[in-house]
Amino acid sequence: MKMKEWISKIGKKGKGTDKDKQEANTSQDSTDQFTDNFNLNLEMVKQEIGHNWDVHFREFNIGRTGIRSIIIYADGLSDKEIIDKHIMTSLMVDFSAEYKQDLPYIKGSISKEFIKNEVLSISEVEEVGSIKELASKVLTGSTALLIDGLVDALILGTTKIKTRTVEEPVSEALVRGPRIGFTESLVDNTSFLRSSGEIENLSLVQFQVGKQSRKDLVVAYIKDIVDPELVQEVENRIKKIDIDNVPESGYVEQLIEDNYLSPFPQVQNTERPDRVIAALMEGRVAILLDGTPFALIVPVTLSMMLQSPEDYYERWIPGTFIRLLRYLTVVLALFTPSLYIAFISFHSGLIPTKLAISIIGTRSGVPFPALIEALFMEISIEILREAGLRLPKPIGPAMGIVGGLIIGEAAVQAGIVSPVLVIVVALTAISSFSIPHYSIGITLRILRFPAMICAATFGLYGVILFFLLMTSHLVKLKSFGVPYMSPAVPYRLSEWKDLMVRMPLMMMKRRPKMMHTKNPIRKG
Amino acid sequence: MILNPKDRITTPQTAVIIINFILGTGLLTLPRSSTEKVHTPDVWISVIIGGIIAIIAGVIMVKLSQQFPDKTFYQYINEIAGKWVGSFLSLVIICYFLMTSGFQLRSMAEVVRYLLLEGTPTWAIIMIFMWVGLYLIIGGINPIARLFEIILPLTVILFLVVTFMSIKIFEIDNLRPVLGEGITPVLKGVKTTALAFSGPEIMLLLIPFMNQPKKAVKALLVGVSIPLIFYVITVVMVIGALSVDGVVTRTWPTLDLIRSFEISGLIFERFESLLLGVWVMQIFATFSISYFAAALGLAQLKKKSIHPFMFGLLPILYIIAMIPKNMNDLFKLGDFVGHMALFLFGFLPLLLLIISRIRGRKI
Repeated sequence: MKMKEWISKIGKKGKGTDKDKQEANTSQDSTDQFTDNFNLNLEMVKQEIGHNWDVHFREFNIGRTGIRSIIIYADGLSDKEIIDKHIMTSLMVDFSAEYKQDLPYIKGSISKEFIKNEVLSISEVEEVGSIKELASKVLTGSTALLIDGLVDALILGTTKIKTRTVEEPVSEALVRGPRIGFTESLVDNTSFLRSSGEIENLSLVQFQVGKQSRKDLVVAYIKDIVDPELVQEVENRIKKIDIDNVPESGYVEQLIEDNYLSPFPQVQNTERPDRVIAALMEGRVAILLDGTPFALIVPVTLSMMLQSPEDYYERWIPGTFIRLLRYLTVVLALFTPSLYIAFISFHSGLIPTKLAISIIGTRSGVPFPALIEALFMEISIEILREAGLRLPKPIGPAMGIVGGLIIGEAAVQAGIVSPVLVIVVALTAISSFSIPHYSIGITLRILRFPAMICAATFGLYGVILFFLLMTSHLVKLKSFGVPYMSPAVPYRLSEWKDLMVRMPLMMMKRRPKMMHTKNPIRKG
Repeated sequence: MILNPKDRITTPQTAVIIINFILGTGLLTLPRSSTEKVHTPDVWISVIIGGIIAIIAGVIMVKLSQQFPDKTFYQYINEIAGKWVGSFLSLVIICYFLMTSGFQLRSMAEVVRYLLLEGTPTWAIIMIFMWVGLYLIIGGINPIARLFEIILPLTVILFLVVTFMSIKIFEIDNLRPVLGEGITPVLKGVKTTALAFSGPEIMLLLIPFMNQPKKAVKALLVGVSIPLIFYVITVVMVIGALSVDGVVTRTWPTLDLIRSFEISGLIFERFESLLLGVWVMQIFATFSISYFAAALGLAQLKKKSIHPFMFGLLPILYIIAMIPKNMNDLFKLGDFVGHMALFLFGFLPLLLLIISRIRGRKI
């Protein structure tokens, strides 16, 4: 009775950290360990996990010896085919013929080496001595084998990994480049990295995060490129994560970033293995979490957020052109609506007279100040974007058309907004979507609202001050010790080859200096 | 340690800080203030001489500071001049930086009010500007240097584009004759133009922040030459377009130059908004570095953390900026600051350099 109490206590307590568990293991060994009493062992295991509906107990006799034995597995997680063919058949059918001629057979007992080495045709076999270990293994898909007369239990690797097929990454589509995207399975994802070429020095270090639901997390880096201090820092920050559950890598991102008050993302997420490999080759570190197709890359810089792998896959002239275009879209996405407000409501004298007259003419029927007018349109388009995302796929496009018509054509005809503003808003929206990273795109979309308010209060002066404030913030920001605005500033001409322009690959011979790599030469 | 980088700046960053410190109000007022003194089209020669003087003064200051490569002026002055005189001089220099800062602030507010926001009260314009500046300098010298590096290319590109657009109304005759009245008028303007280059004095404080203090002279040369080019271009273009008489009667001749032409076919027909944007950023640079210099001085004088001083100086700066009642007062303040600079950074460093050399030999 005392033991049962203790087991149930452990059952509740078992959800503590690893450290607690270890302490429990060492201090109260005697009761968590298996004994040589088969019935007692079974009873203890049932106490621990027997109440779960997916855990199955299958009791049988080995061969025709009358030795009792039991396998325990979780339905759905373990592969029944393996259990049937390689465990049950070996133990029940094949065993009987062999054992009688075999020397080590002594009636009524059986050696575990014999079972391991000569009976089971399974690659992963492990012995465990404690019930807790057994429980955690069974609940992740292994099969436990308990045999009367043996103190330890055998854990047999029968985990069936359910994977979806590899698909093209949805959030980062490319015209040219590999069509592989990460999946939810960590094993698959690390295998994508491994199989992207023979990289002997690719290190994949495992961690566990989450207190209640422990999840595997892998820190990936290339040993002879990366700065060891950076790896140390990343590992320290990951070890500090102390949270119940980590459902997605977004949690990890938010828990390890430098400045949680900043609107700018300081960790890059990606679905593309090629992008991760490229980052690793620059001396960065990637973090992969089980259960999500989004890997994280640290440290990042603002310029990296505005790059797409395609810049490198295309020849350098189109690559440069597209990149310059992207910098332009950043400016447009941030400042078009605020400049519209500033010029319309404060400085109509500063725009060409004809244009000013025509804009003011079209605005004559609009009853609101420019700020309200612009806010109305910008918020509508944000709602439309959000709605388009949430709607079921067949309705989405239809909704887009309806919404577009309403906030475009109808709003103008109703005299709520001016036609020029519709152009401005459309330009802003398109620009913000052309940025290859969703997370930085949404940052810019958010920042244009404070910019608009600055413009409405102080006109052009307000916009300039907003720019100065934002830049002041950006130059202070760091991602894992690397200044967010590098390599633009401090000036390092050699690294500008890969900033606004993308110079020919022939000329980019070195890895980024800010990464403090061990081996700075990329190309001979 | 990549995660705790020392608060150091590179040689190019030092040069950029000097450039941004020099370029300020001068960009808009130099053509008038110097032409008033010279009264001939040879102002550009005065500007060049002024620049050379600034370089000489700057080199003296650098040499002085290089004797104490890991100390700022506020720290080593006590060793040269003794505790009392040293503290007094530090205070004077702090006052100088505060007044420069306040003067820039007010000039900016006046121009913005004149051109962009007619109805907006000055205090509102000044206050938000100061807050943004405070936010920047709290980060220390490194973010300041990086921000300057971002605004400098913007300044160079936009300024050159805008200035060269005025080539349409440029008339070379306005610049003739060269040295028609001899060299005397040119020399009359040198004092004004040399003061437009006040900015190298920041080297008194920057050398301990540099990661290669030995290259300070190089940084200084680049740092003064680029504004020199800017000023020469400005003066030549403004006088060439508006003529000597036209320049003298205008408060902000550079702005008037940009406003006086229109180029159709481009998105903007008038470019003063671009120039103004660039100029506000330049003032922001001058303002924030001198604000930082003043706060740094107080912190090092009291040997305390710099942050409380940054916050504490905010109202003082506001008061300084609000003291001038009108434009005339403002320009008088500017002249006063200029005279202070002339004494503090023209003669004093030379004196201190000599004293420290003599003392150095004795020891």
